[in-house]
Amino acid sequence: MRPAARAAPWLLGPLILAVAILAGTAIGETRLPPATVWQTLANHLWGASHAVDRIDAGIIWSYRLPRALVAAACGAGLALTGVVLQALLRNPLADPYLMGLSAGASTGAVLVSIAGVGAGAVSLSAGALAGALAAFGAVVALAHAVQGGTGGGRGTRAAAAIILAGIAGSQMFNALTAFIIARSANAEQARGILFWLMGNLSGIRWDDVAPAILATLAGTGICLWHRRSLDAFTFGPDSAASLGIEVRKVRGLLITVTALMIGVLVSKVGAIGFVGLVVPHAMRFLVGTRHQRLVPASALAGAVFLVAADVIARIIVPGQVLPIGVITALVGAPAFAVILIRGARR
Amino acid sequence: MSLSVHALSVRVHRAQLLHDITLEVAPGECLGLIGPNGSGKSTLMRSLAGLLRPRAGEVRLQGQPLARLSARTRAQRIALVEQQADTTDRLRVREAVELGRTPYLSPLRGWSPQDDARVDRALAAVEMTALADRLWHTLSGGEQQRVHIARALAQDPEVLLLDEPTNHLDIRHQLALLALVRELRITRVIALHDLNQALGCDRLALLDGGRLRAIGRPEEVLTEAALRRHFGVGAIRTTDPSGQPALHFTHAL
Repeated sequence: MRPAARAAPWLLGPLILAVAILAGTAIGETRLPPATVWQTLANHLWGASHAVDRIDAGIIWSYRLPRALVAAACGAGLALTGVVLQALLRNPLADPYLMGLSAGASTGAVLVSIAGVGAGAVSLSAGALAGALAAFGAVVALAHAVQGGTGGGRGTRAAAAIILAGIAGSQMFNALTAFIIARSANAEQARGILFWLMGNLSGIRWDDVAPAILATLAGTGICLWHRRSLDAFTFGPDSAASLGIEVRKVRGLLITVTALMIGVLVSKVGAIGFVGLVVPHAMRFLVGTRHQRLVPASALAGAVFLVAADVIARIIVPGQVLPIGVITALVGAPAFAVILIRGARR
Repeated sequence: MSLSVHALSVRVHRAQLLHDITLEVAPGECLGLIGPNGSGKSTLMRSLAGLLRPRAGEVRLQGQPLARLSARTRAQRIALVEQQADTTDRLRVREAVELGRTPYLSPLRGWSPQDDARVDRALAAVEMTALADRLWHTLSGGEQQRVHIARALAQDPEVLLLDEPTNHLDIRHQLALLALVRELRITRVIALHDLNQALGCDRLALLDGGRLRAIGRPEEVLTEAALRRHFGVGAIRTTDPSGQPALHFTHAL
C-alpha cells in the first residue's frame, strides 16, 4: 500500500467522527444551524462570547452533545467487544450479547425499576451494571463447568463452551426479565422498559459522559496493547499457544475487560444490538484482519455508526423518537444475513 | 537442540492418554511417531509443544524442564504444525507466515526489517514466495500446510513438531511435504499415519494404548510381529526396485 493511502484513513476516521458528532448536535426535532452549534461549543469550550439563544444553547450543550458523545463511546465499545470476542472465540457470529451481558443488564434494570429492588436508593444504571456482571459471571461459571474445569481441555472446546453457556445464560436472564415484567409491571411501565431494552439515549446527561468515554478508551487501550495476541488466535487457541501466547490468561483478561466495558455502557443506554456483530466484519473488509488496524478502525466505525443511528432514530418518525436498537437492527440484520450467506459460500 | 521426555503421564478428563513415556530426541534428528488411531500420538505431540500439562513426569528441552520456560521463550525454541489448522479470516499467505514472529514481538517492540527477512526466508524454504499475496482460502490443502510449515520456520525454532502434516493431502503433496521436512536441519518430531513414509525417518517411536511400545531404527521397530500386534494387520517386508525397504500390507486381522 502507498504511504499516503496508509496514513489517510487515520486522519479521515477521527474527522468523520467529529463531523458525525457535530451533526448529532445539530439535527433533531428542532434543527439548529451548524453556526449555532459552533458558537455554542465555542462559548463553552474556550469562553467565546457569541450571542446564542439560551434555549438553543441548552439543547445543544446539555442534551445533544452529551448524547452524541455517549453514542460514540457506546458504538466504539460495542464494536470493539465484537472484534475481541470474534477473534478469541473464533466464531464469526460472536457479539457482546453472547456473553449474557444485555440479558443480565435488562434483568437488573427491571428488578430496580419495576420490582422495586433497592427501594429507590439504587439507580437503574447501577442495577443494570450489577445485572450485566452477574450474568457474565454466571456464563463464565457455566462455561467453566461445561469445559470440565481443568486446564487440559482443548482450547477450541473451551471457546465452544463459552458460546453455548452464553446462549443458555442469555435465555435464562431474558426469561427472568419477561417474568418480572409480566408479574409486576403495569402497561405504562412495560412500555417504558421496552423502550429501554431496545436502547435509549434520551436520558443521557453530562454525568454519564465521563464514565462511558473512560470505559471505552481504557478498553481500546488494552485491546491495542494485546493486538498481537489477538492476531495469534487466527488459527485457533492451540496455534496461539504454540506462538507463545498464554491463552487462558490473555483470553480471560480480554473477555473480562470488554465485559466490564460493555457493562458500563449498557447500564447507560440499554441493549443495542448488531453493532458489535456487524461493524467488525465490515471493517475486516476495509482494513484487513490485523488487529493493529482492525481495533482502531472498528472503534471509529462503531462510534460513527451509532451516532448516525441515533440521529436517524430521532428524525425518521416526525414528533417521535424511536429506540436506537430498532435502527441498528434494521440496518444490522440484513448485513448479518449477508455475512451468513458469504460465510456459507466459502 | 535435544528434547527429552521423562516418565510422562497425561490425563485429560479422567482418561489416561499417556502412560509413563520416556524417550529422547537427539539434536538434528528426525523422529517419527507412529501408532494406530487413539494411540496417543497427538497427545504426546501436544505435550512436547508444552500445550498440555502432564499429570506426572516432564518434558525437557536441552535438560531444562519445559514447564519452567515462559510461553514466549518456549515458542522461540519449539514450533508446532497442527493437523489442518484452518481459519475463516481473509488473510494473505504472507500475513499467516508473519504470525510466526509473534514470540519475538511485544506491544512495544514493533516489526523490524529483520522480521521481514525471516519471513522471506521461511516463504522461500517452502517455495511459497510466488504465492505470498494469495488469500488463505484460495490455497489448496497442500499449499496451506506448506504455509503452516513456513509459519513454524519463521519462529526460528530449534525443534519442529509436525502432527500428521500429510493428512488429507494428495500423494504428490504428501511426498513434496515430506521431502521438504527431510531437508530441514533442525530437530524434528513428526507424527505419521503412512508407515511406508515413516520408514524415511531417522528413528521411529511406536505408541499403542498410550504407551511407548518400541523405539529405534525404522527396520527395528516396524517388524512384521509389531505390525500384527499393534496395528492389527498382516504385512510383509520387502525391498522396492530401488533397493529401499518397503512394507506390503496383506490383510486386516
